[in-house]
Amino acid sequence: MSSAAALKARKYLVAASASARARAAYRGDFLGSVIAYCLFVFVFSRVWRSAYAARPSIAGYDYAMSLWYFVVAEIPYFGSSGHFRELAGDIKSGQVAYLVARPYGFVGYRFAQAAGSSLVAVLPILGAGAALGGLVAGPPPLGSAAQAALLAASLALALALQILLQLALALTAFWVEENSAFLWIYQKLALVAGTLLPLEFLPETASRIARWTPFPALAYAPARILVAFAPGPSLRLLGAQAAWCAAAWILCLALYGRGRRRLVSQGG
Amino acid sequence: MDLSIRGRARAYATFLGASFSANLKSVLEYRANFLLQVFGMMLNNAAFALFWGILIDRTGGIGGYSFEDVMVVWALVSTAFGLAHVVAGNVRSLGDIAVRGELDVYLLQPKDAFVNVLCSRTVVSAWGDFLYGYLVLCLLPGLSAGRLLLFSLLAAEGALVFAAAFAAAECLAFFLGNSRSLSEALHEFLLSFSLYPEKVFDPGMRWAFYTILPSGFIAFVPLAAFKAMDWGLVPILFLVAAAYMAASYALFRAGLRRYESGNQMGTRL
Repeated sequence: MSSAAALKARKYLVAASASARARAAYRGDFLGSVIAYCLFVFVFSRVWRSAYAARPSIAGYDYAMSLWYFVVAEIPYFGSSGHFRELAGDIKSGQVAYLVARPYGFVGYRFAQAAGSSLVAVLPILGAGAALGGLVAGPPPLGSAAQAALLAASLALALALQILLQLALALTAFWVEENSAFLWIYQKLALVAGTLLPLEFLPETASRIARWTPFPALAYAPARILVAFAPGPSLRLLGAQAAWCAAAWILCLALYGRGRRRLVSQGG
Repeated sequence: MDLSIRGRARAYATFLGASFSANLKSVLEYRANFLLQVFGMMLNNAAFALFWGILIDRTGGIGGYSFEDVMVVWALVSTAFGLAHVVAGNVRSLGDIAVRGELDVYLLQPKDAFVNVLCSRTVVSAWGDFLYGYLVLCLLPGLSAGRLLLFSLLAAEGALVFAAAFAAAECLAFFLGNSRSLSEALHEFLLSFSLYPEKVFDPGMRWAFYTILPSGFIAFVPLAAFKAMDWGLVPILFLVAAAYMAASYALFRAGLRRYESGNQMGTRL
């Protein structure tokens, strides 16, 4: 890497690190998301227990698979909350005017900040998920180091995509001041298409359509790699996640490029 | 005495009507945003109908609930939750208002501070929740004036229980300082347990649904009353709601004794 590129990368690493340290300083803030995550895992463990009471398998998933699927699928969602609100709030309040003139790429900077914060936030959720999943569904179906490595990579890509899509939605605040409805709709589509339920549970047509959207890359990919690992399909899932991350990055750049033209700065 | 109580009740009804009207006018000032949030919230709720539809199609029923039962529960809880936040929009900001020392402006006004602070705001997206329940009800078979009236009464009772429980959770801020995480957790627990069939949970934890997390009086008993068209349960449920509201009010009054003014100048326009 040339020294100019290294210097450029360092800016974003510093932003990520500062954001991670700021997040780690307020440990009490983790409590809310960890409690909510544990609550959902617990409630769904009961729903699945009831669903499997009369049958050993649904759409190729047994009770333990469904539960571990849910434990992993919810991690990117709970580990990435708040980024939409922060950026949309900065745009609505005009705070963004102070940030656009600084010597960094705005999208890269916001992504680095969000990623640093999410990496810290996701750790207690991972710990809680592993403990609670083990308690209600037995040990996780991890069979090899390769599977663990692909799972970690898939979770990182899912987190990155969650952040990028939230940033893209937040950037619509340049046009629509009250844009939280976009986030709700996006979150709920993501919940139905691969978070609450594996894609195999959906009716065939819906499942086929869902596979052409970014939603399976947000939750289905890492969860599927854990509960039904096979090297070929897992690598394909990772490839799709990387492609969606690239597409979301381009979308953010395009939205920011157009949106900043609507920014009007008055006085100082 | 009787006249005085009636007079006070009329004065509070007028006050609540005026508060509601002012809140509604303020949100309608941004009409496009209002409609976007209302329809966004309705779509948001509809996503869960899809989830339950798929799951029940695969399993035939969960915890004794059919798809129609799930939809009635969602309708009841959604309308009750929406109504609580439409009328008492500060019900989940009370703790922050107290922590910031911003209660002064309400304490200095002639109306009761509890009612005044809770009803001085409306939550825009809650209108979507409120309407969603009625939309679901209209889509379910067997709609009649009687069912609509019973549904409205049960949802109003649920709204009182929601408001009382959320306000009580917010009042913890008087005693614990910043209790945002705890009150948010109580909020999540109450809402989540209300939206899933009672029988999926262990019998040992069901006592909580009729005490500290009153999902039983928001969802489970109202569902049974609605299915059986049991009008006799309505006054009993309202008595229970009144007891929760009284407990919440008592907690607020006890908390007020620990409240320290922020010495802030404030106006309500």
